[in-house]
Amino acid sequence: MKGTLVNLNVNPCKMCMPMGVATAFYGIKKCMTILHGSQGCSTYIRRHMATHYNEPVDIASSSLTEEGTVYGGERSLILGLLNLIKVYEPEVIGVATTCLAETIGEDISRIINKFYEQYPEHKKVTIIPVSSAGYGGTQFEGYSNTLYQIIKSVPMDTRKNGRVNIVTGMLSPADIRYLKEVLESFQIDYILFPDLSENLDGGYHPNYDKLPQKGTDIKDIAQMAGADYTIELTPFVEESISVGTYLQEVYNVPCKKCNPPVGLRDNDYFIQLLSVITKIPVPRALKEKRARLLDAMIDGHKYNSEARAVIYGDPDFVYSSVRMCVENGVVPIVTATGTLCSGFKDMILMEIKDLMDHYFIDRYDILEDVDFQTLEELAKERKANVFIGNSDGRRMAEKLGVDLVRRGFPIHDRVGGQRLRMVGYEGSLTFLDDITNVIIGRKETGFREELLKLYYKPEGTYQAKELGYDELEDSIALTNGKTVESEQKDINSSAIKASENRDRDQDALVHKNTNRNMKEKTIEEKTATHPCFSCGAAHQYARMHLPIAPKCNISCNYCVRKYDCPNESRPGVTTHVLNPMEALHKFLEVKEKVSKLSVIGIAGPGDALANFKETKRTLELIREKDADITFCLSTNGLMLPQYADDLVKLGVSHVTVTMNAIDPTVGAQIYKYVDYMGVKYYGETGAAILLSNQLAGIKMLTEQGIVCKVNIVMLKGINDYHIPDIVKKVKELGGSITNIMPLIPVKGSVFENLPLVSKDELMAMRSNCGETLKQMFHCRQCRADAIGTLGEELSTIKNPSVHIAVATKNGTLVDQHFGQVSELYIYEYKNGASFYKERRPIKKYCDGASECNNNEYKIKAIMEAISDCTAVITMRIGEGPKNQLKQQGIRVFTMYDRVEDCVLQAAALITDGIKNRKKDKEVLYDKA
Amino acid sequence: MKEMNRVLDHYNSKVYKNRKEHMVAVGNNDNNNEILANVRTIPGIITQRGCCYAGCKGVVLGPIKDAFIITHGPIGCAYYSWGTRRHKAKKGEGEDNYLQYCFSTDLQESDIVFGGEKKLKQSIEEAMDLFHPHTIFICSTCPVGLIGDDIHAVAKWAEKEYGIKCIAFSCEGYKGVSQSAGHHIANNQLMKYVIGEGDREITNKYSLNLLGEYNIGGDGWEVERLLKRIGYEVISTFTGGSSMDDLKNSHQANLSLVQCHRSINYIAELIETKYGIPWMKINFIGVEGTIKSLRDIAKYFNDPALTARTEAVIADELDFIEQDIEYYKSKLKGKTAAIYVGGSRAHHYQFLLNDFGVRTILAGYEFGHREEYEGREVLPFIKPDADSKNIESITVEPDPKKYHLYLSEEDINKLKEEKLIGYYGGMVKDMKNGTYMVDDLNHFETEEFLKILKPDIFFSGIKDKFVAQKAGVLSRQLHSYDYSGPYSCFRGAVNFARDIAMGIYTPAWSYVKAPWKAAPILEGTVGGEEAC
Repeated sequence: MKGTLVNLNVNPCKMCMPMGVATAFYGIKKCMTILHGSQGCSTYIRRHMATHYNEPVDIASSSLTEEGTVYGGERSLILGLLNLIKVYEPEVIGVATTCLAETIGEDISRIINKFYEQYPEHKKVTIIPVSSAGYGGTQFEGYSNTLYQIIKSVPMDTRKNGRVNIVTGMLSPADIRYLKEVLESFQIDYILFPDLSENLDGGYHPNYDKLPQKGTDIKDIAQMAGADYTIELTPFVEESISVGTYLQEVYNVPCKKCNPPVGLRDNDYFIQLLSVITKIPVPRALKEKRARLLDAMIDGHKYNSEARAVIYGDPDFVYSSVRMCVENGVVPIVTATGTLCSGFKDMILMEIKDLMDHYFIDRYDILEDVDFQTLEELAKERKANVFIGNSDGRRMAEKLGVDLVRRGFPIHDRVGGQRLRMVGYEGSLTFLDDITNVIIGRKETGFREELLKLYYKPEGTYQAKELGYDELEDSIALTNGKTVESEQKDINSSAIKASENRDRDQDALVHKNTNRNMKEKTIEEKTATHPCFSCGAAHQYARMHLPIAPKCNISCNYCVRKYDCPNESRPGVTTHVLNPMEALHKFLEVKEKVSKLSVIGIAGPGDALANFKETKRTLELIREKDADITFCLSTNGLMLPQYADDLVKLGVSHVTVTMNAIDPTVGAQIYKYVDYMGVKYYGETGAAILLSNQLAGIKMLTEQGIVCKVNIVMLKGINDYHIPDIVKKVKELGGSITNIMPLIPVKGSVFENLPLVSKDELMAMRSNCGETLKQMFHCRQCRADAIGTLGEELSTIKNPSVHIAVATKNGTLVDQHFGQVSELYIYEYKNGASFYKERRPIKKYCDGASECNNNEYKIKAIMEAISDCTAVITMRIGEGPKNQLKQQGIRVFTMYDRVEDCVLQAAALITDGIKNRKKDKEVLYDKA
Repeated sequence: MKEMNRVLDHYNSKVYKNRKEHMVAVGNNDNNNEILANVRTIPGIITQRGCCYAGCKGVVLGPIKDAFIITHGPIGCAYYSWGTRRHKAKKGEGEDNYLQYCFSTDLQESDIVFGGEKKLKQSIEEAMDLFHPHTIFICSTCPVGLIGDDIHAVAKWAEKEYGIKCIAFSCEGYKGVSQSAGHHIANNQLMKYVIGEGDREITNKYSLNLLGEYNIGGDGWEVERLLKRIGYEVISTFTGGSSMDDLKNSHQANLSLVQCHRSINYIAELIETKYGIPWMKINFIGVEGTIKSLRDIAKYFNDPALTARTEAVIADELDFIEQDIEYYKSKLKGKTAAIYVGGSRAHHYQFLLNDFGVRTILAGYEFGHREEYEGREVLPFIKPDADSKNIESITVEPDPKKYHLYLSEEDINKLKEEKLIGYYGGMVKDMKNGTYMVDDLNHFETEEFLKILKPDIFFSGIKDKFVAQKAGVLSRQLHSYDYSGPYSCFRGAVNFARDIAMGIYTPAWSYVKAPWKAAPILEGTVGGEEAC
């Protein structure tokens, strides 16, 4: 669902340009703003600024009417200027356009000139035009652009004056007051541009002045061209409208751009900078404040490292917040701005990359032009536990039960938005404390429930309870909906609930079946015990592949025929092909040892139906010996229409068809040729034959009650956009599940260098398609797992064998940190070949952030679990456990490659000379 | 009179002349209290008025809970009208509630250049995919009217494509002179495309529409509770907390009650013409006002049992609040108030203030017309100007099937003569001589009047709230009630009084003068001055 909303903005995370214009002009002394357009614009903006600042906000309007839109608004604007001057006597007037004025093409510079001509007595009033169509950008652009227009419009005095220009973004008045304090502590003669600190956060005075009396004086602005330096504290302002750059280029005022002083690093930098340019040592009081912030950072780190923050708002605000979060170990799991801002993604990524690597987080988001609907979905998905941003996030905060740390603009559901701080050591400290306290608050209120879940409830009862809890929640939600002001409707929840229930049902079915006589199982029951079709079964039931089908009848571009079909088996390993009789014997042997063997699969190494004679014979032989075992078969589907009926007769209940396209033009890019009835068909013709046979075949099977799974290899740029259509088609045809898999590139194949899909992309595709049809999320590409039983058979032979433990997520790649795995894959190396043996669950000893070395107890448990192994292969491993493994005589290899390759490489080194694999050594480095 | 001139003196001659006509010193003029209203705002004067879009989307359509409102335009207007009025709604079982949502087509520069219709269509498609609404409203903002997007054609397309109800509202901000134009546009479309479509079975003959009640802070709920207690059935509320289905069935009622005359009088009259349901101006703000309204309604239905029940409920409700009222009266009596809000509230709240002995010394509307000040008798004398002519005025014929009369035509005419139904007298008749009526009171005049008249309380909206407080005058927001409410009927009156008393007697006022300052600042304008 996410990402589909291109046109409809649901709950905007941005405002329009004139809002930023009005804010910037409020930092200028004796300045009034008039918006040229419909009066609603100024009314709306005043209303929003008033709620945030809790101050009167005066913004005029030219109050254009329908007549004005037809004949031009010149008269209205000139009248407006006259009245504004008469009543308020401002020294400066900002004239900003709106959607309306821009759309009818008003030239406000011309109108202003005309005004000066008509009323020369008002020439002493500086009138500054700002073009600010509501559709031209957000308040962020409006603000930056206004500063630029002001600096360009004010006549400059270039005489050197030794002052320092400070240009800021949208900061709270309290933050600006702090900046002034710091500048004064360095005795700097500064020009702060703009200065909102008083006009939008005034005290109670007996004589309220309706014209803002504070703020940056226009005379000071004129002096900015003669200053010694400009310090610009707005990291994301466009270069073309940067005040600092303008002053540098036009008036040779050196410009230093730095981040607003938020967080420790940026404060240090800013203070250091002030110290350097003034040659005044850092005042003692500031040093104390720094020490206090650092102290708080250390005090709070244990909580902060658990924070997964969603940070949103203006780019400057988000950037500063992210930098502060990162230095405190707070994970910015979703970072977003409502505006379109060049460089935002790159700069944020640079800030958070290391932290994410450190925490092993590979799913996080950085977004521009975001709305709150998207943020809410992501926050839920990424399990955010704190929100950082303006009040507009309150709805999602309330809905998801996550606390919101309010900063930025606007804060209109609390008082004191104008006094919220994040700048300076102290400001950062209050900001950080607010974040830390959200995390502590969650722990205080939620830890009992979590402990209970983790340690005290037996699994079975817990599940049942959880169901009850959900139901309870539903009923509460319902009654709330009836009686209380109801907020939102949750669109997704019902769908998610349904699928959860489905999973639960399946689990329940499995439990039931284990206690039952398993004769004459229905297809549903068979599905429940089929590890590839049922999530619960994957962990409990074994399956076995019988390599009886060597030939293949199509040529896939991801395949090299000297290996097995890479789609149907892990690539790069050649299986020894059996004849039907041998297959039967192997089955009987394995069956004796593995009581849970529930499925026999024919999956290659070629295509099961291209070797139909062998397939048929094998299945007949086995069926004679075992009436109950599930038959499963994988095929490319080319011959399906021909053999579908035979398969049903043979008792095959589950068929997996690999179908990578439903459009021949797409298919032609994936398949080189199709060998059908003795003729090779190339290109689209070949693809068309294959695809139509696949579709017809699936339909024939599902109509007879056969469970059909469709495997789809996700090929970046080839079929990825097409996959949702395939899934829809599968659904139409009655298929029950699709398994979208990443391409595993095979050396020498056409797709060898095709870019890989990332896990995120894969997961996104799966969840996208999950709305159409059930997806195989639990798939660990485990289709060859049952072959592990072969190991037992082989172990009777007298050759020495080596056991190797591998840290892998799914048996494809060595891709796990040793400390992060909850199970290790055990491989056996023998006679120059490696065999998967089994998976052994172990206890994670490392949670990412805490020290790894101090968990000797857990490591000991792991040692015991793998005491029979000669070596461990892992992507990474801490020094502590590595040494301990070595002491146990277990060698450690850190590699990142395919599991089989790694095992072979490691084994080659261990057995030292069984086979020389010199070229492999280049990729292998043994730190042991 | 002299106070008025002191304010006006700041203006140049042209503005002076214009603004003078918007101000009336009640009973102290030779113009029979005539006021200038519903005309263009003077540019550059900081008006508190909003725009047409605000009146249409924000006021009238916004409270309809299950209408999916897409603001077609650049992002600002949608954002600014998101959750800013505290109209409340209950979500019934199986009903949608979009009140917390804000939907916009977020038009960009290229859309303004090449047209935004395509984006609007795509937005509707996305809305249908994601939310499956049964009703979509499209509200346009300023640029849409200029770039030629045919939102009405898009609405027709959506109805055909999805089988939903989709209504377009051309409520560009520049239309008319204030929110009022937006009310009219919303009224027109609801009349054309919504009212009369329902076929819910109504068995209670004491059936009512509650028009012009937007359920701010729960006002509408309190009114409904009271009416139900007496035995009425409220079929629809326009539009606070209503669903589309409620509005569709409004043609079945036997009487329409009009709370806010300004924003809904078009529908009230059109319903009467088309379906035969007369309308009655009532007011549920204030204890006395509520009692009178309840008795008027009972008089219309003319059933002794109903009248008896009405009296019983009034007595019971009064009994419930009596002590509170007496207490707050003792706290508030003799205070003075200025009210500048809306197109009806500035009148209604004078009744409530009266209940507690608070005198209103200045009152004005943001977007009221002359009839809200002077009564409907001035209607024949109001000449339509260019701005009001731009808003379509629709006419309807009696519906041959759905037209129904509860009373005989003769009785209706009699009640009309008595001004019990079909009449609104405006605020001036309830204002004392020596008070002021000011239309479109702007930011500058607000500050000046507060300085000169020194009311104890200033009732307004959020924009003028802080200027009052800076001037040392207690402010209460009558748009959103400062997070409080309900203020309607009997119990609401107590809420209101408690809020005012709390404001006047807050200890903070007593520290206004710093001990090192000698001169008095507040000059005895608020409570607690003895501490100064």
